Amino acid sequence: MAKILIPTPLRQYADKQDSVQLAGSTVGEVLKSLTGQYSELRRHLYNDEGKLRSFVNVYVNDEDIRYLNKEATPVTDGDTVSIVPSIAGGSAGVQSPPAPPLTLSKDEILRYSRHLIMPEVGMEGQLKLKGAKVALIGTGGLGAPLGMYLAAAGIGRIGLVDFDVVDFTNLQRQVIHGTKDVGKKKLDSAAETMLDINPYVEIDRHETALTSENALDILKDYDIVVDGTDNFPTRYLVNDACVLLGKPNVYGSIFRFEGQATIFAYPGGPCYRCLYSEPPPPGLVPSCAEGGVLGILPGTIGLIQATETVKLILGIGEPLIGRLVLYDALAMRFRELKLRRNPECPVCGDHPTITKLIDYQEFCGIPNQPHQEAPMEGDIDPVEVKTKIDHGDRFVLIDVREPHEYQICNIPQAKLIPLGDLPKRVNELNSADEIIAHCKSGMRSAKAVEFLKQAGFKKVRNMKGGILAWSDKVDPSLPKY
Amino acid sequence: MVSHVEKTFPKEGCGLMIGSDGLVQEAVPLPNTYTGPQEDFFVIDPQDLHRVDRESRDRGLDVLGVFHSHPNCDAYFSKRDLQHSCPWFSYVVLSIKNGRFDHANSYRPDFDQTEAPKEELTYG
Repeated sequence: MAKILIPTPLRQYADKQDSVQLAGSTVGEVLKSLTGQYSELRRHLYNDEGKLRSFVNVYVNDEDIRYLNKEATPVTDGDTVSIVPSIAGGSAGVQSPPAPPLTLSKDEILRYSRHLIMPEVGMEGQLKLKGAKVALIGTGGLGAPLGMYLAAAGIGRIGLVDFDVVDFTNLQRQVIHGTKDVGKKKLDSAAETMLDINPYVEIDRHETALTSENALDILKDYDIVVDGTDNFPTRYLVNDACVLLGKPNVYGSIFRFEGQATIFAYPGGPCYRCLYSEPPPPGLVPSCAEGGVLGILPGTIGLIQATETVKLILGIGEPLIGRLVLYDALAMRFRELKLRRNPECPVCGDHPTITKLIDYQEFCGIPNQPHQEAPMEGDIDPVEVKTKIDHGDRFVLIDVREPHEYQICNIPQAKLIPLGDLPKRVNELNSADEIIAHCKSGMRSAKAVEFLKQAGFKKVRNMKGGILAWSDKVDPSLPKY
Repeated sequence: MVSHVEKTFPKEGCGLMIGSDGLVQEAVPLPNTYTGPQEDFFVIDPQDLHRVDRESRDRGLDVLGVFHSHPNCDAYFSKRDLQHSCPWFSYVVLSIKNGRFDHANSYRPDFDQTEAPKEELTYG
C-alpha cells in the first residue's frame, strides 16, 4: 500500500484526483494497480514494449527509483510515490546544416589505395575515417606517433589539446617534433608535421590545459578521445569527461620500459576508475621526467592506441574493451588482464555519485596553489651554497641522486649518498656538522632532509632547485638532463 | 519569462508556467541544471519540478508547461527538444538574439517524441 501523487496533466485521467492510495509492495506493482484502475494512464506512462517512457521519472519519497531498485523498489504503508516528468531540451541539433555526403577525391583515392584494396576498410571504411572526429589530448610521447599515424590514416578531423613548448629533452621520443621545432608551441609543431603527412586532415588547435571547466566543451565535438597525457589529475579528468559524454577513451600509459593500453568508458565497458578507484599518493609514482622512459616505448603504446582508434571507427576486429594490455619492453612480452565494469564505480557504476567534473588536482592530493615561491624552512639557494664553498665554510654537501645521474654531472665537493642508501649510511654523517643536501630538482633532497631531521640531525638544509638550479645560477657549463 | 531568459543569455534559461484552464498566470524561473555547456542545452532538476508542482497544487494552480530559451537561434522545436520532450506539457520556446527577446512559439510534443505540432499563443 502506498500513496501515489498524480502530476497535474494526468489528473484528468484519474478522476481529477491529485493522489490515490494503491495496493502493491513494489513501485512496479503500485504503478500496475494505478494503470489497472485508470487505463488511460497506461499509454502516458508506458511505451508499447511495456517499459516506462523515457520522460517518466518515479520517486519513492525523495529518492529517484533509478538509484534504488528501479521498479522492484519496495514500498510500504506511508511511502509516497511521485511521478515526475523529466524536462530538458536545447537549441542544438537542428540548425546545423546537414553535412554534405563525403566523397574521396582522385588524389585521396591514390593516397589511401592500400586501405581501399582491403575489403575490411574499402571505400566505405575510408569514408568513415574521413567522417571521424578524434580528440588527441597531449602531443608528447604518446601523442607523437598517434598524431602522425592518425593523420596518415585519413581521420577527417583531429583536435589537438596541448599548451606546452617543444624542448630538447622531448626529442628522444616525441618524433612528431624535430630539432628545428625546439622553442615552438607543440600544437603548431605537431600540426605542421601532420599536415605535411596528410594535407586532407582538418586540425583543431586547442591551446590550453584540459580542465574541469573546459573539458566537456572541448571534447563534446569529437567521437573518440585519445588520452596521451602523463599525469593522474588529467587522466581522471579525461576519464570522467568521457563517461559523462558517453565517448570512448582510448588510453595508454608508459613508464621506463613498461606500458599499458586499453579502451575505457565505452558504453557498458569499464572506465579508468573501475581499474583505479583512487589515485596513488602524490609523488609515489614517478613521472617520465622523474623516472625516465625508453624513447621508443611511447611509440609502441601510442601505436596500439592508434590501432584501436582506427578499429573503433571502422567497426572491425575485436576492440580492446575490458582488456588491459601490459607491455614489457625488456622482456619483449605482452600480457593481458581482464577488466570489468564495476557496478559500484562512482562515475560509471549503477548508482553514480560523480555526475559532474570535480577538482582533479585536489582529488589527486596536489595542492592547488603550489607554495614553491615561499621558501621552505631550511631551504638554501645554490648561490649561497657556492658562496659558502668559496669562503671555505665548514659544511658537508651530500648528493642524494643515483650513481648514473652523478655520472651525467655533479658538484665536485658533493658526497654521493643515494636517497635509498641514506638509512644504512647515515652513520657516515656527523650530526654536529652543518649538512646541505641536493638532488636533481630538490624533491628527493627534501625527503633526505626530512629523514635526517627525524634521525636527530638539527643542522640540515635542502639546496633549492637541485643541480638544475646550480647549472642555471652557478655553473652554466654543467649539463642539464 | 523574458526577463529571466534575457538574464541567462548566452546560456539557455528555463522554467515552468503555472496557471489554470490553459491560461498561464505565472512563470516560475528555475535553474538550468545541465552540467555541460548550457549555451545549447537545459535540464530542469526533477526535484525542482516536483516542488513547484506541489506548491502550485497547494494554491489550486496547475503546472501547464515549460519554457526555455534558444540563445541567438530561432524559436523552433529542435531535435534535441523533441528527444527530451514530455507530451504532458506545452513547451514555449523563446528566441533571444544578442541578449534581447525576439520571438516565441509554443509546441505540444507527442507521446513517441517524434513530432511537436505548433500551438497558437494568445496573449491576454
